[in-house]
Amino acid sequence: MKKLLVILCLFFSLTASSQCISNQSFWINPVGPYQPGQVVTVNYTLGTFTQLNVNWIIAFQINLGAGWTNLQPIITPGNPGGSAGYWLWDLQNTYPSGLNFGPGWRFVNTGFNPDWGTASTGPFTMRFSATVDQTCTADNLSISMNVFGDCLTGGWWNGSCCNDPAFNIYNGVVQIVNPITSNINHY
Amino acid sequence: MNYKESKQVLLALFITMIMMATTIFTYGQTTINPDTVCINAVGEQYFVTNTPTSTYQWTITGGGGALQTGQGSNSITVDWGGVSGLYPNAVEVIESNAAGCPGAPVLIDVYVLDLSGNPIGPFCAGDPTTPLVGNPAGGTWTGTGVVANAFQPSTAGVGNYVLTYSMAGCNTTINVIVNNGPVTGPIQHY
Repeated sequence: MKKLLVILCLFFSLTASSQCISNQSFWINPVGPYQPGQVVTVNYTLGTFTQLNVNWIIAFQINLGAGWTNLQPIITPGNPGGSAGYWLWDLQNTYPSGLNFGPGWRFVNTGFNPDWGTASTGPFTMRFSATVDQTCTADNLSISMNVFGDCLTGGWWNGSCCNDPAFNIYNGVVQIVNPITSNINHY
Repeated sequence: MNYKESKQVLLALFITMIMMATTIFTYGQTTINPDTVCINAVGEQYFVTNTPTSTYQWTITGGGGALQTGQGSNSITVDWGGVSGLYPNAVEVIESNAAGCPGAPVLIDVYVLDLSGNPIGPFCAGDPTTPLVGNPAGGTWTGTGVVANAFQPSTAGVGNYVLTYSMAGCNTTINVIVNNGPVTGPIQHY
């Protein structure tokens, strides 16, 4: 029984860890918490993308909570040693697998198949900004990043896809600020 | 108290004055609650400290008051009616910031003041001093022949006079007449 528990724990530990993604880092400026109207810049770096079963990296999806608006790209990820093509800033794209992508950057391969992604293993650094929406409710301001390989998007079918969890960048809610009015004066 | 101690006291006094001035500028409160306006006053200005990104919703209740200009801004003008009395929460403002979040309502009571003066006279030049009565009490009388809120016909002399009763920036007037006494001729003997 004890051995079985150890094996189960080991199994869940392995499945919860990243398969293709490693050395993720970020900075966010300014540091939260945030109030309506604030513009926040996020810089994210994926150090290494491991090509499991020739599974190439194809997209970076930015996941924003409902309290964000006006998402803007600032720095597009590079493509060191990668395939011919370019990173496209896209708000929405449906891949052949049915995966509904967006917003974020997705790689358009111009050499072979546009849905193959790039053979680059990184590093990939990108930057974007978002604005805290004008709201009077404590809306969700979470920010996370999903990295997709072309095995998930339907560009490549060769065994098990890596399906790494989203990388958490920020968790919080809008800080509501109610105005404080001075007393009424009369001339 | 030596020189150093005197210097410290002066410094403390200076800091206190600065703090008082800062408080006034920060909260801007110079109007005492209830505020007083004259009956049928027009163009009375009310304001709160402005935050450029905010909007302000004003409400005038009672006193025959009507908002004339400035709705949405931090400063409005109001015309008041002709019925005197105390009107609780007559002026209200709710500030909303750029996100549309409202602040707490800020209110002020308004007392619509209707001054009147009791008529006196007519007098003869030699009549005794007569107290002047204004309603409500507590105001100040001014004019020719007025001494300590009383009218002295002998000081004023013969003529027609306008006396003014003032309180809280409001005024009312009464007219007073001082007549000549009869001029009697010499006694004749037939």
